[in-house]
Amino acid sequence: MTEARVSKMKRLWGMAIDLDKCTGCGACSLACNQENNMPIFQDDSDYPKRVAFLDLMKITNDRDAKFPDVKTAFLPKMCQQCGGQDPKHPGQLNPPCVSVCPAVATDVGDDGIVSQIWSRCIGCRYCQAACPYEARVFNWWKPRYEGSFKNALNPEVSIASRGTIVKCTFCSHIWKRERDKAVAAGKLNINDVLHTPACVKSCPTGAIVFGDLNDPESEVSKLTKSDRAVRLTNYIDTLPKEKQAEFRKKKSYADPKVYYLTSQKWLKDMLFFKKNS
Amino acid sequence: MKKINRKDFLKVGAGAAAGGVAGYVLSGAPFMAFQAIVEWTQDQYVPVGGIESYMQAVSDTCTSGCKVSVRKIGARSIKIESAEGVCTSCLNSLQLVYHPERIATPLKLTGKKGSGKYKAVSWDEALKDIATRMNALISGGEANSIAAINKNETLSGQMMEKFIRSAGSNNVYYESSLKSAESAVLGGYLKYDFAGTDYILSFGSRLLEGWGDPVQMKKYFLNWKAKGTKLVQADTVCTRTASLADEWVPVKPGTEAILAYGIAYHLITAKKQSSSGADFTKWSQMIINKYPLPKVAALTGIKEEQIIKIAEDFNKAKRPVAVAGKGGTGAIASSAEIIAVHCLNTLVKTNAVSVVKNSAVSYKSDFSGIDSLAKNGNFKMLILNDSNPVYKSVLGDDLKKKMEKSFVVSINTIKNDSSEYADYILPALTFLETGTPGNKPVNGAWKEAIDPKDIIIKLSKMINKTAGAFPASAIDAHRGAGSEIAAGAGFSFYFDKTKSEIEGFEKKVSKNSEFPLTMIPIEMALVGDGDGMAFPYVLKNIDWHTFSAGKLWVQMNRETAKKEGISEGETITIASARGKLGKVKVHLSDVVAPDTVAIPLGFGHESYTEYGNDKGVNPKKIMTAEVDPVTGTADFWSTRVKIS
Repeated sequence: MTEARVSKMKRLWGMAIDLDKCTGCGACSLACNQENNMPIFQDDSDYPKRVAFLDLMKITNDRDAKFPDVKTAFLPKMCQQCGGQDPKHPGQLNPPCVSVCPAVATDVGDDGIVSQIWSRCIGCRYCQAACPYEARVFNWWKPRYEGSFKNALNPEVSIASRGTIVKCTFCSHIWKRERDKAVAAGKLNINDVLHTPACVKSCPTGAIVFGDLNDPESEVSKLTKSDRAVRLTNYIDTLPKEKQAEFRKKKSYADPKVYYLTSQKWLKDMLFFKKNS
Repeated sequence: MKKINRKDFLKVGAGAAAGGVAGYVLSGAPFMAFQAIVEWTQDQYVPVGGIESYMQAVSDTCTSGCKVSVRKIGARSIKIESAEGVCTSCLNSLQLVYHPERIATPLKLTGKKGSGKYKAVSWDEALKDIATRMNALISGGEANSIAAINKNETLSGQMMEKFIRSAGSNNVYYESSLKSAESAVLGGYLKYDFAGTDYILSFGSRLLEGWGDPVQMKKYFLNWKAKGTKLVQADTVCTRTASLADEWVPVKPGTEAILAYGIAYHLITAKKQSSSGADFTKWSQMIINKYPLPKVAALTGIKEEQIIKIAEDFNKAKRPVAVAGKGGTGAIASSAEIIAVHCLNTLVKTNAVSVVKNSAVSYKSDFSGIDSLAKNGNFKMLILNDSNPVYKSVLGDDLKKKMEKSFVVSINTIKNDSSEYADYILPALTFLETGTPGNKPVNGAWKEAIDPKDIIIKLSKMINKTAGAFPASAIDAHRGAGSEIAAGAGFSFYFDKTKSEIEGFEKKVSKNSEFPLTMIPIEMALVGDGDGMAFPYVLKNIDWHTFSAGKLWVQMNRETAKKEGISEGETITIASARGKLGKVKVHLSDVVAPDTVAIPLGFGHESYTEYGNDKGVNPKKIMTAEVDPVTGTADFWSTRVKIS
């Protein structure tokens, strides 16, 4: 019998995005591209081929509503950092993309971050198929950085090769940077290290909040308990509590750690692909 | 037929195999495979490491004056951060700083204008030539034929204004037209107290999508939510601002001013309010006769009760503001519309709106605006200060012809549609490389480029008439920056000049059998009115119903599309009385009003780096180009079009 591993990491990183505050300015996307060394092609507007971690989606209810009963909203969509739940291993983190990886290129940390090591990826794209949120992107071409654009590259994020999957990691390299600074300052408690991902820092209306879901006092924890909070297409959230426990014994759920907050009923419906009016 | 024996069979087999091998080798496939192996086995480029540091900078090239903190690794700047909010052009400024197509040295035209043939010359040679020509014009009594177009009213724009005026010319223009249009109408531009207002009535101003000062607007927006400030948004398209507003007034295309007339009508007749502006009696008489409520309701598509409700609420509010200027980054309004909307402010005598001006910017030139310069101007020399009027003016093609015949100098960081017609292109540094009195430059200078303010200073020292206009260096020039002061001008309805437009509104928006639809611009936050297109990270943000796979998408209401026989994804051409646009695709969406085509602005650059080129069409080429008699700019907002 092997002893159960006890982790010193007590944090569980999560995000809450207040869509009522989002104006769709695109700052989060710009900051993410800069921080994470997104490749630069001649036509990056070519949507299906684009490599970007954060997709600022424009959403309208025009499928079901008629002018002028329509609404427009924006939704910054990045990796939802699924906790994942597996009926066979209750209480463990089990994101849908991690278990399918044959090369152990992607893993989930004790802090809940679904990581990816670009250079370990063999390009089978199983994880991309398993991802419920299309949050993983594949480098169909060799990432390019034309001439002097190379000067703006961040040394903390490695450059991917052609034929690998890349993804948002909640800017975990910034956490490592903060950790190194803490260690240098003599602070050795891992749980004292906090960080802010690039998109969160750049949001001019403070719509994106990041923090520890395990800490009930953190702002993000409080927001996730709001009536406005909703997780993307996580169907089990809509069921009554007793039903949830019953379903969890039978089925796997993504259980993302990104919460969207909206007071708009149409948008909530939309996030579950429900018909709305 | 000859019988095939075993030997023949083997020969044919060997021949086919040899052919196969030769074909495989000649096809290049093995070499591609080698390349793949090389790429696979060798790691990608590794960014150079170094010591981390942070440096502070204040932007003196954007109108928000953003304060940024730059993360550096060694000598490289790798990330823009800001504690106080930052505009998107500053947030993305590293893509400008490190743009591979940045201009390295002064360039002199060697071929025909527009040919793009330039050779590198020294600063001395370029400035000497420019100064000689300028001195010749001034001493020949033709100083007024020197014109300049600034991108905005920041310090280098103010310095350019001072330079041109001290050279004896009256021809200084600014690209952003809302401030200059308002100044032409009101003697200053409007300053709204967005922080203190309790009721905002916006006539198509997409307040949260780039309008005005985008950094401040976001802060105000949070404040509105906290305080319960009511935002009423009139717009033809359900933009994000309209969705975030407390009330969206879905007016028919191009009828924002008529809605203002309806509200004014109610305030004047039912509420007995009056404005102190000159010509108010004549103006109000005309509105009462010409735009009674039932007619306004029919023209705008808004019910009478709703118009009355808005008017009542506006009247009741403590510090209401009525905001003119349709659009986001490229906001525009005609003089009649500015007057109609500002009239509402004066009718309810709100103290949340004031008329101010910048002490260093006059907006007074021979032609009242950039479009009238393009149409009627006869300059012999034109200096472009980071501006792109050829792309942004609806009369850009007219301006292009004038630029072909005159001597043009363009001060730029990267080439744009307008600098293609320049005799000299002078490379300018960005705000991260120039520094301000409080901050050292974040980056070292780029090749031979110099501070645009220093270019103006250097040039001014070589012109006899302007030699004493500026201090020795750009850093000292910061002390001379203009400040915001009260304009103290009286409000006039300019009844004689705008009469025909007030009358014309009705005809403009009524049924037209030749051009049954109306084209309205929409903007993407990062693209704005075109400046963002040179930057790949902006392109990464474009949604696929705006631009994808090399095609620009327009949006049309489903019912209208059905009437026109258009289906989702179909390719169409749009034509107005001015001409035809290239092919665009149609996305059917009810966020757009019936009988309207919503087209994104900012696309279709002729020359704006590898990234901005060949991306869609520029709708301004066919947009309404009737130059307003007071503002000198064309209110391009609504254009009657047909599709085929």
